[in-house]
Amino acid sequence: MTHAADLPAWAALPTAFFLLLGSGLTLLGAIGLLRFGSFYERVHAPTLGTTWGAGGILIASMICFTVLQSRPALHEILIAAFVIVTTPVSLMLLARAALYRDRTENNGGVPAFEAESEGTDGEASPKSSDQKQTKGQ
Amino acid sequence: MAKDTSLILMIFLPFIGSAMAAFFPSNARNAEAWLAGAVTVCGLVLASMCYPAIVAEGPVRAQIEWLPTLGLNFTLRMDGFAWLFAMLVSGIGFLVVLYARYYMSPEDPIPRFYAFFLAFMGAMLGIVLSGNLILLVVFWELTSIFSFLLIGYWYHNANARDGARMALTVTGIGGLCLLAGVLLIGHIVGSYDLDVVLASGDLIRSSDLYLPALILFLLGALTKSAQFPFHFWLPNAMAAPTPVSAYLHSATMVKAGVFLMARFWPVLAGTYEWFWIVGFAGMASLLLGAYFAIFQRDIKGLLAYSTISHLGLITLLLSLGSPLGLIAAIFHMTNHATFKASLFMAAGIIDHETGTRDMQRLGGLFRFMPFTATLAMVASAAMAGVPLLNGFLSKEMFFAEAIETHADSILDRVAPYVAVLASAFAVTYSIRFIHGVFFGKLPDDLPREPHEPPFLMRFPIQLLVLTCLVVGIVPGLTIGPFLHTAVTSVLGLATPEYSLAIWHGVTLPLLMSFLALLGGALLYLLLKNYLAHCEEGPPYFRQLKGQRIFERVMVAVSWRGARFLENRLGTRRLQPQLRLLVAVALIAAAWPLYHMSFGLAAFSWNLDDAVFSGLWAIGIFCAVGAAYQAKFHRLVALIFLGGAGLVTCTTFVWFSAPDLAVTQLLVEIVTTVLILLGLRWLPKRSEEFQTDAIRMAARLRRYRDLAIAVAAGGGMTLVAYAVMTRAAPPTIADYFLEKAYTEGGGRNVVNVILVDFRGFDTFGEITVLGIVALTVFSLFRRFRPAPDSVESPEQQRVQNATDEARPDRTAGETVSDYLLIPAVIMQWLFPVIIVLAAYLFFRGHDLPGGGFAAGVAMAAAFILQYLAAGTRWVEDRLRVLPLNWIGFGLLLAALVGMGSWLFGYPFLTSHSQYVELPLIGSIPVASAILFDLGVFSLVLGATVLMLIAFAHQSVRRLRASRIAAAEEETA
Repeated sequence: MTHAADLPAWAALPTAFFLLLGSGLTLLGAIGLLRFGSFYERVHAPTLGTTWGAGGILIASMICFTVLQSRPALHEILIAAFVIVTTPVSLMLLARAALYRDRTENNGGVPAFEAESEGTDGEASPKSSDQKQTKGQ
Repeated sequence: MAKDTSLILMIFLPFIGSAMAAFFPSNARNAEAWLAGAVTVCGLVLASMCYPAIVAEGPVRAQIEWLPTLGLNFTLRMDGFAWLFAMLVSGIGFLVVLYARYYMSPEDPIPRFYAFFLAFMGAMLGIVLSGNLILLVVFWELTSIFSFLLIGYWYHNANARDGARMALTVTGIGGLCLLAGVLLIGHIVGSYDLDVVLASGDLIRSSDLYLPALILFLLGALTKSAQFPFHFWLPNAMAAPTPVSAYLHSATMVKAGVFLMARFWPVLAGTYEWFWIVGFAGMASLLLGAYFAIFQRDIKGLLAYSTISHLGLITLLLSLGSPLGLIAAIFHMTNHATFKASLFMAAGIIDHETGTRDMQRLGGLFRFMPFTATLAMVASAAMAGVPLLNGFLSKEMFFAEAIETHADSILDRVAPYVAVLASAFAVTYSIRFIHGVFFGKLPDDLPREPHEPPFLMRFPIQLLVLTCLVVGIVPGLTIGPFLHTAVTSVLGLATPEYSLAIWHGVTLPLLMSFLALLGGALLYLLLKNYLAHCEEGPPYFRQLKGQRIFERVMVAVSWRGARFLENRLGTRRLQPQLRLLVAVALIAAAWPLYHMSFGLAAFSWNLDDAVFSGLWAIGIFCAVGAAYQAKFHRLVALIFLGGAGLVTCTTFVWFSAPDLAVTQLLVEIVTTVLILLGLRWLPKRSEEFQTDAIRMAARLRRYRDLAIAVAAGGGMTLVAYAVMTRAAPPTIADYFLEKAYTEGGGRNVVNVILVDFRGFDTFGEITVLGIVALTVFSLFRRFRPAPDSVESPEQQRVQNATDEARPDRTAGETVSDYLLIPAVIMQWLFPVIIVLAAYLFFRGHDLPGGGFAAGVAMAAAFILQYLAAGTRWVEDRLRVLPLNWIGFGLLLAALVGMGSWLFGYPFLTSHSQYVELPLIGSIPVASAILFDLGVFSLVLGATVLMLIAFAHQSVRRLRASRIAAAEEETA
């Protein structure tokens, strides 16, 4: 923006690099979201944007404002921390909701769901261990 | 002490006492009585201290500015007449407090009683001492309200509730009429100041508006004093505790009507209209009240009708337009207050000791309570007008006035006969009361064994009866000078010669008195047997009950009329209401624009800033998309709405308004979540529009709605465009920018404006916010969802079915499994968001943030907790008390505002300075930050309250459907 001209070249170069890296990855993620076929594939694409995409932009921001204001600008770490904590959670919620729906509606292509009619112990135990596995992911 | 201070104290002490009394523990009978006693004694002392000044220099005045620009001031004024009443109100108030200490049972919620009692006393003193007509009406309505609350004190009793409601309706409507009358008088005179109004009697009487003003004014006065035909509320008000009846419904409040008539007597009286209206009401009340009183079975009913009759006597005296009549009226007001209050207290003692007030069941109590009986006899004798008692004196003055011819008419000619007849009736009911209660056979089915009451309970009666005697025997030495001061303050130089002596020689009035005494006694002998067994109420009039007529009218007005209007004009459907609202707004906005030209600037494309234009293109797309999808895809519409909100938010950032951006973002988050929660309760798409014919009609309706919507939106756009393309007028923004730091002590101008410069606006706004939250909450409490959304949503049912089908799981386990990781993260974020809220709050004064944003952020933290773990889990672990938070916020904001009064500044003046804290250093502290804390607390409370309304709705519905399911199973 207006202050970009004040930035010395040694700082401007990495700033531009990280900014382009971040926004490029985010764009890639957005294109992926648009292009992929199924929901489960699509869930992966935006993660590009929220991990390195956001990370690159934040690093660029840190470099730029640290140099411009001649003092370390570290707010971005906080932003990164919250993005890292919250985005996976929302994506996980989305994915699990979709999975649950596919299972209850018996759509193909997803791991089987505990059938409601089967209530014997022998069948329930492997299912519940399966449950634990998904929990551990 | 300065005279004006003591006047102001006289008004405010009872109210302060009332506020204190309300917070005492419910068993603090003695403490309450001491407090109330102290307040009444203070009132007495303050009033007596003013007396020398009133005699020497005339009225004492005090003034506090209220709305000086409107000519309204909190003016107090005490002349001799007001002084007499102030003494009556405080003095009898003290005696009633003493009496009530013994009368009220330990089970009664005492704080409520004394709080209302003292507040009533303050309002009554306010009526008496007001020096401004509007102020007088305000206090007048306050007495109606507190009378309502006191009559309904035992609200578990249906009679008390009905009586209270009736009293409030009648006196409240009267009060509104009085307000209208006072406004007319103020319009005629050009001032609401009592002194000015009292000095312009000729102007008022000669005005065209005199008759309407008089009628409205009298409607107020006559309803309050329970005069015919508005008398019916008073007997029904007897459901109140006896101290209340003694104080409000005999000694003070019902006297307010006659007080007002006497107060404005020099201004309004003396005309033919006055004579007829007041005279007729007074005479009818005098005669009918006395007649009805004879046939009451309830002691308090008898006393109530007798009160109506005596007030009728006073009204009749006031109607005559002669100064001597006014003197007699004022004298009788004080006399009636003394003997009637003591009689009510005696009735209360009888009720207290025997458990009944029915005169047909009582009898022979003289043996058990000779002392009380003697006191009651003396008081009744005063009521009947027996010589050597105060009632005799004023009654003789009344007879003397009745014989005189004032305005030759039928009313004037029958007056002496009516007077004698009514007095005879008064003798009859007085004898009935004494004979029926204290003599005759002792019944054996009394609920309790009677005995003398404690000395202090009897003491107030003793004192009042002693007054009756002393005034009756040596009137000139006791009441004489005070009465003279009172009378001269009303009549001024026109005060005629009058004599208070007992013996005037054998005159016509004396003969009339004896005739009435003899006639009354004879009548009682005749009626004695009938009265011992008769039904309640007088013969022939028994069927015609004022109460029933009143109830008919109430039903017609408040139920049938309302239903009629609702059926004709109302709709329960939201769409027509909204359509109407938007259409009216459209027309209201278009009307002036049609008449005066718009003056639009020429339109030009300005797309220099491509990014910003693109942003707005997205925003417009989202907004239109939201509207397009709103009908059938609500979730999609909500997402679009969020997009539009984010664009707005970015716009604020773009134009350097970070404060607005932060607030907008937080509000956006919270509203989206709340609407999401509410989506589940919206009804499903209606199937009935599927046939072709209806589809056509529906389509037409939609096009019409579309037209309305486009017109409204286009109009809004035009207005915005017109405003934005105009050169900005000189604004006050520069002023705020300049003064924010120097005067408000903050660098964040927006926040300083909100909490300091425009603090009063903010105060109003948060009040509205609190009201909105309460409304949402109460609407939800009565919410009946559409039939198809009563059951829990499909997903939830499927999940619970899976859980229930498996023995190793309990209901709700699947969802908590699925939510495990998000839930943990959400719970961990709770403290983080609290820190964020605190950060927003504290930096608010200098940087973007502030109480509002912090409150919304904090509410988001709560919402997350509810989402993560469910309503029950959260409420088991956190104390979520949004109502308290709302209350605390409002109170804190108000208190901070009032705090500046202590330093002599106007409401909500802020003070700021820097404070040195260890470790942190110098930080700015402004009193506005406390105000902001109030804002924070209220916003938090309001948002969480709405959230809770949603959350509890889900829990409750679940339970309801589960109960229904259980019933199905058992059936």
